[in-house]
Amino acid sequence: MQIKVNRKTVEIFSGARVKDVLRKYSPITWKQVQKGSKAVFDGHGHEIGLDGELAEGACLMVKRVARTGAGS
Amino acid sequence: MSARKYFPAASILLAAALVAGLACSSCASVPPAPAETRIVIFHSNDIHGKIDNFAKVAAVIAREKRGGAQVYYFCAGDNFTGNPIIDQYEPPGEPMLELLNRLGVDLLCPGNHEFDIGLENLRNFAARARFPFLSANIEAPAGVLPQLRPSTVLRTRGGVRIAVFGLIQIEAGNGLPSTHPDKVKGFKFSEPLARARGMKSLRRGNEVFLALTHIGYEDDLRLAAQMPELDVIIGGHSHTRVDPAETVKGVLVAQAGSDNRSLGRVELLVRGGRVVEKKGALIDLKTVSDEDAGIKAMIVKFNQNPAFSRVIAEAPFAIEGKDALGSLMTDAMCRAHGLDVSFQNEGGIRLNRLPEKITLKDVYTLDPFGNQVVEIAMNAEEIRSLVRASFEKGREIDLQVSGLTYVVRVDNERRVLEILLRLPDGKPLPEDKAYRVGVSSYVASSYSFAHKDPGRALAATTADALIRFLESRPDLSVYRGIQRAFQDPPARGGRY
Repeated sequence: MQIKVNRKTVEIFSGARVKDVLRKYSPITWKQVQKGSKAVFDGHGHEIGLDGELAEGACLMVKRVARTGAGS
Repeated sequence: MSARKYFPAASILLAAALVAGLACSSCASVPPAPAETRIVIFHSNDIHGKIDNFAKVAAVIAREKRGGAQVYYFCAGDNFTGNPIIDQYEPPGEPMLELLNRLGVDLLCPGNHEFDIGLENLRNFAARARFPFLSANIEAPAGVLPQLRPSTVLRTRGGVRIAVFGLIQIEAGNGLPSTHPDKVKGFKFSEPLARARGMKSLRRGNEVFLALTHIGYEDDLRLAAQMPELDVIIGGHSHTRVDPAETVKGVLVAQAGSDNRSLGRVELLVRGGRVVEKKGALIDLKTVSDEDAGIKAMIVKFNQNPAFSRVIAEAPFAIEGKDALGSLMTDAMCRAHGLDVSFQNEGGIRLNRLPEKITLKDVYTLDPFGNQVVEIAMNAEEIRSLVRASFEKGREIDLQVSGLTYVVRVDNERRVLEILLRLPDGKPLPEDKAYRVGVSSYVASSYSFAHKDPGRALAATTADALIRFLESRPDLSVYRGIQRAFQDPPARGGRY
């Protein structure tokens, strides 16, 4: 299936989760997300979990975030 | 948690209603419905066995109830799969069952991972659940899950009727929820948005009309667009943190992320037979300090799962080294899923030794990442491409294998010259055949190799495969001194 990450198309196996797509998109970005300096959002600007299951055509945006102590 | 918010006019109108009710109490035996009803619906989705925050959830709900609102707690699916300590409990599903009952869950919409625990366990779970299962697009086999219903109507203390129907996601390809097909044998599933159209009649006669779904946020938005009759959609599946809840065509659409990190809170004000105000937000459970002591004690007990110490297999010797452990893990993948070939990267083998008495804890220490098994149809040249990519990562053997053996011939700089693939009997792997190859989701997404087939996740983890394999009592003596992946010439001082 095809997923868009920051407008780049990533071809990945069906049933992939957010973290799978990020690893394929960019190992560097994946590490930044793991560290918490970046987070993943859907096409509507809502943050989504790394184990979220994706459907064909989903759009993801990876953005830098400023985490506070209480943030998730 | 965020400060609780009250509708300002509510208390005044409620007082007026009470006065009016008292004035005519002599002429009517049934108390009149209050002029306004404030309803608070807490909601969780995609908990995936992450139980630790339930003590906070209980405290938040209890506090809200003390405030006088009509309070409900809905679950939008996927309570299981994601925390081995809970997933491997015996009987399966027990921790979630006891906790959801104790928390007073009112409704549960099954998600695709509810089926992961197997039909018999799900049947037991549903039979002992003190809440109904809602899904309009699941048709269960006769006699199975009698607790499942398409919709229900809740009534508040004041008589306000809340009609709710449920929906589960299905995959475009096979029309089944994202679980192993064997887990849903005998069930029928219909397309959720089409099925929802048949639920529109629930609007009539009910002051509140709500969908409790497990179809993902994108489909929740489509549902809102096609059914403006709805007041609220509370969803799950996509792990989306919708904070605050969105309004689409007048429908409030809410979802609370995943893993029990947040608790969703939807607040409705019903006046004159309809919802006049609605809003939704998430409560970040990290910011909640109150905990219910009783629930906390249950969580502590469940986290000491005795099943983790259970011996699931006994080997005649400790299975040691990446070759032996990787061979065991890949054999398990092939056997569990009927694959021709499977690969396991050495970085994903997190133990150097499995003891003779192998416990569940050992398996999850060996393979702790929760990676899914991914099946890809590959020919011999594509398999070589995968082996080459793995070798070139560190110029050494990286993939353990089942279903074949391979030799990577290298030059003095350890650059790959040739990759020879052989069947277990030593014959060359036929070139003109497509093989069902299994890899972990980590390998499928991190390794750059040629494959025309994008592949598909098999809705099971690599650790699940190993547990099933070990429980089948295989001959573990074959793993002494086993080697299936070779470098030629062998690395100086290396294993190969």
